[in-house]
Amino acid sequence: MLKFLKQVTDYTKEAVQSAKYIGQGLAVTFDHMGRRPTTVQYPYEKLIPSERFRGRIHFEFDKCISCEVCVRVCPINLPVVDWEFNKATKKKKLNHYSIDFGVCIFCGNCVEYCPTNCLSMTEEYELATYDRHELNYDNVALGRLPVSVKNSDPMVQPLREFAYLPKGRFDPHDLPAGSRRAGQMPEDLLEGETKA
Amino acid sequence: MNLAEGVQLVSFLVLSAMMIGAALGVVLLSNIVYSAFLLALVFVSMSGMYILLNAGFVAAAQILVYVGAVNVLILFGIMLVNKRQDFLPVKNAWLGKAATAAVCLGLFALLSTMVLATPWAISDLMPIGDGAIVAIGKHFFTDYLLPFELASVLLLMAMIGAIVIARRDFLPDELLSSSELPPESEMLTLPERPRQAIAARK
Amino acid sequence: MSVGIDLQSSFIELLQGYGLTPGVAKVVWMPLPMVLIVGAVTVLALVSTWLERKVSAAAQQRIGPEYMGPFGLLVPVADVVKLLFKEDIMPAKTDPWLFSLAPLLVFIPIFLSFLIVPFGQNLLISDLNIGIFLWISLSSIAPIGLLMAGYASNNKYSLLGGLRAAAQSISYELPLALAVLAVVMMSNSLSTIDIVNQQSGYGILSWNIWRQPIGFVIFWIAALAECERMPFDLPEAEEELVAGYQTEYSAVKFMLFYAGSYANLVLSALMVAVLYLGGWGFPISVSAIAGWIGISETTPWLQVITASLGIVMMLFKAYLLLFVAILLRWTVPRVRIDQLLDLGWKFLLPVSLANLLLTAGLKLTFPVAFGG
Repeated sequence: MLKFLKQVTDYTKEAVQSAKYIGQGLAVTFDHMGRRPTTVQYPYEKLIPSERFRGRIHFEFDKCISCEVCVRVCPINLPVVDWEFNKATKKKKLNHYSIDFGVCIFCGNCVEYCPTNCLSMTEEYELATYDRHELNYDNVALGRLPVSVKNSDPMVQPLREFAYLPKGRFDPHDLPAGSRRAGQMPEDLLEGETKA
Repeated sequence: MNLAEGVQLVSFLVLSAMMIGAALGVVLLSNIVYSAFLLALVFVSMSGMYILLNAGFVAAAQILVYVGAVNVLILFGIMLVNKRQDFLPVKNAWLGKAATAAVCLGLFALLSTMVLATPWAISDLMPIGDGAIVAIGKHFFTDYLLPFELASVLLLMAMIGAIVIARRDFLPDELLSSSELPPESEMLTLPERPRQAIAARK
Repeated sequence: MSVGIDLQSSFIELLQGYGLTPGVAKVVWMPLPMVLIVGAVTVLALVSTWLERKVSAAAQQRIGPEYMGPFGLLVPVADVVKLLFKEDIMPAKTDPWLFSLAPLLVFIPIFLSFLIVPFGQNLLISDLNIGIFLWISLSSIAPIGLLMAGYASNNKYSLLGGLRAAAQSISYELPLALAVLAVVMMSNSLSTIDIVNQQSGYGILSWNIWRQPIGFVIFWIAALAECERMPFDLPEAEEELVAGYQTEYSAVKFMLFYAGSYANLVLSALMVAVLYLGGWGFPISVSAIAGWIGISETTPWLQVITASLGIVMMLFKAYLLLFVAILLRWTVPRVRIDQLLDLGWKFLLPVSLANLLLTAGLKLTFPVAFGG
């Protein structure tokens, strides 16, 4: 009899405990309802990419020396460097250069290793096309100036990412003009070093 | 005949036609799933009859028990063992069919004579209508107590049987070949892991 | 107990004032509440889909529908329009008859069950004597439709979904019915009107939730399982079964399933409100307030206010429960099929039986509080 009673009490305790846990979970979900939505209304609002954002690669044709370092450091040897040897000047002459962004993983190795800095990362990320072959950018497409989220389209409202908001702000909308992000900026750090 | 009586007559005719048609479909259709669904239709039209007889509670109970439970279980049974298999033509199949037809016709004849022989008289008692729930409850717990309890005991037995069949802990993957058939005494027992072994494991 | 307003008799009297015979006036009246309730149920189901979207979004820190109408209120309308104009695809090798019949079999019983939902003393379609029992028996037809859909789709996911749905609704019908039975035992009637009236004496204090807390929890869990809501949505578990029995459905037939599931959810919430939360009753008894102010209960404008307050209270309670159901959806993970059946047969059923026994005992001991 006592054993049976113990079983019953244990069972009740378990049921009450599980009910308590479900209640706690409900409280968490309910708490989330009061929080501010983190939605970015994409076509009308866009986040400003951070400084180290690795977007579409920009290429400066005239700086390139056709050394093919970018091809060697690329995990899949993606950049296509079409050059010929100019016998008169004894220099390589670059004819075409292309990167297929349908295959590129944006690791940034080519940008890192380029000896003449003719490759650079941009903050452009809207690369969608109707045909995947259109993602194969040639040197003209690679040399176009990147589109910035800021000041490019009056319909688009640029929004700062969370880390770039002033201290105590959580909402990127309606920031006061000239507000700075929390913490010291790189230039502040440099100034401080030169003073010391 | 006023409006209400006309509606009643039409509903009765429609329900009877539906019931007979569906019942014939249950028997005659070769697709067993159709038969099962038509059986539900038979039950539903039967509950419609109960409504016409002013027995709403019985009608709802009919739907709950027969359509909601019995028929769903039949469908379950059919769908869980749904082996698409063509019937092999059996020799002298007409014999079986003839026998079935004879039995069915005999039953039908018996029932019809019974129907014709009974002096049907419309009862002059008032239909109990909405008081049916109370009346049925009282009958269940007074003069029909024994059949009521016997029915529940029967259901309990069926349930325990189902549990015994369903709770097999061990089933051999392949059928035993004829040489290693179990001895005669264990022929009808279900293959099962010995109880002691299970108890020892715990 | 106030009789409240009687729309039927006043409408018929109005028509008779225009020179119609009583019979014709009654014939004119008869289809009105049915049409009204079908429209109202559709709107309620649509509102609950919108609520589901908005509350889900809020629980996940999103905004949810915003651009279609104010606060995205027109999204359900857009849904309906889209589903009406989509092509009605019938996949090859389906069973055309059963495939078309199944959504109707799921949809019609749910709409029929709204017959017995009372929004006021006389604001329901028919005060049937079997009342709540009709709902229980009608809701047992749905598994047939689900099995039919699963079988007719000729698709393994559909069949599994249909079988799971049927198993689930059979298992949870028992605790549901037992929880209802405990309430019925206290009110001595199956009629929804009587059940509400029995709770109406002292405002919020006389609601059944205080007398039947266990029954309330059991009923709500079982109702969620019957509606295949999130912790129990195994029949359409998208990770395993694509969409269960709805996998092959599109356009209008899919809409019937979709609207049916939301109408069922609203219906269950309304039933909880009727059975446990005092139905159309205001937390403070309206007649008591009228007594304090010193107005007769039969004053016409007071009756109108009481009736509209009743409808508002009913909807408020139902949508509050719906809100809880949506929160639960984003809180509780889906249970496995064995956990589901364990919960139904090994927990809810014994507990609801014990609850029934307890209610019977309390009814014998304290006939004043538990309906002698």
